[in-house]
Amino acid sequence: MHRMTSFLLLALALSACRPEGAKKTLPGNELYAACISCHGTDGQGQEKIAAPAIAGLPQWYVEAQLVKFRSGVRGAHPDDYEGLRMRPMSRQMMDEGEVKAVAEYVSKMAPKKQAPTAASSGGDAAAGAAAYGTCTACHGADGKGNQALNAPPIAGQYDWYLVSQLHKFKKGIRGTNPKDVTGAQMRPMSMTLADDQAIKNVVAHIATLSK
Amino acid sequence: MIDTYVPNGSSFAGDIDHVILVITAITGFWFFLAEAVLFYLIIKYGEQEGVRAKYVAGEDPKEKRWVAWPHYITLLFDIYIIFAAISVWQDVKQTMPQADETVRVIAQQWAWTFVHPGADGKLDTPDDIRVVDELHVVKGKTYHFELQSRDVLHSFSIPIFRLKQDIIPGRTVRGWFKPTLTGGYDIQCTEICGIGHGIMPARIIVETPEDHAAWVLALTPTQAAITPSEQPTQLGGMP
Repeated sequence: MHRMTSFLLLALALSACRPEGAKKTLPGNELYAACISCHGTDGQGQEKIAAPAIAGLPQWYVEAQLVKFRSGVRGAHPDDYEGLRMRPMSRQMMDEGEVKAVAEYVSKMAPKKQAPTAASSGGDAAAGAAAYGTCTACHGADGKGNQALNAPPIAGQYDWYLVSQLHKFKKGIRGTNPKDVTGAQMRPMSMTLADDQAIKNVVAHIATLSK
Repeated sequence: MIDTYVPNGSSFAGDIDHVILVITAITGFWFFLAEAVLFYLIIKYGEQEGVRAKYVAGEDPKEKRWVAWPHYITLLFDIYIIFAAISVWQDVKQTMPQADETVRVIAQQWAWTFVHPGADGKLDTPDDIRVVDELHVVKGKTYHFELQSRDVLHSFSIPIFRLKQDIIPGRTVRGWFKPTLTGGYDIQCTEICGIGHGIMPARIIVETPEDHAAWVLALTPTQAAITPSEQPTQLGGMP
């Protein structure tokens, strides 16, 4: 009886396997189907579910973040509510090839400059410009980032996303995993922003930068 | 019998298996008997030359008893099932034995955070150990659990414990378990909770007291320093 049941279960499991010929890396546009429900078909994200705009982000950055999410280097802190949601989604990319393919697809989507929201209202862009001096070393005066320093572009990104990430870095919710080398570089930089107002100021300045 | 496929890993798993088997045996017996009678009648009274089909309303007691007698017997079996199930329900869901320790389980789309009480054995103190997707417990200890949700309905299920309990946002749902097997086993969400529902697994690690003490010791300093214990007020929406 047990042997028979085991055989039937095995047969059922085998029938669910992909045939040998189907074991290939899916193209980026098909893989991106897993991302649409949060980041949208155009990659512009949506604030109500805290999904940032990803369209046009450089391939190396999207790839690096997906690798971090997949391995639990990012998005595995108990207080990282949004990151914990992204982590299982990143695991829908089954291997490095699929990570690369979807990252390439995202990098080729048309970027768009996001309009300021309530997240940065009350921020003093002039004061933020002074504080932004620290950021220029890596992200550049134009906020376009620098691959050599692993710094992503931040110009054009939603202000609420930048505010939330700066808070996470400051609180140690992001950038504290021992394997997150680039996060560990960003964390002390975020600490130079003394309080919520300083964060709003610098994000208000970033909002003035052209995409 | 069930534990051939899914180990029986809690103090009440055997009782729940017993109820499942009783119900399976009773419903299985009636299912096969009813099918046998049905097919027997279909074959015996199939189309016959020169015989016209007639509508049988079951008003004749001789015909009605084909339904009535199984009905009465089924009711008797139902009463037996109810008594068997109520006794298990009482032991597992209505009774909370004295806890050796309490753990908090926080579900969200699509991950689990487990708050362990740390070396002092109490929750909401600085030495609490918060771990994502891994619950560490000691074999033979009785645990109370506090289930909380950060967003939507989830359900906390540990198949080897035969434990399944809904988690309702805004409430703390309590229950208990006592592990009886060491090892690592699956935890799963059994309430569809969004697009990532199928990919939010976690593990329960049932350890010996020595191994658990070593684990607590290894995690306490770092966790206490970096992530101070959160109060339940953190719940109820996106931080």
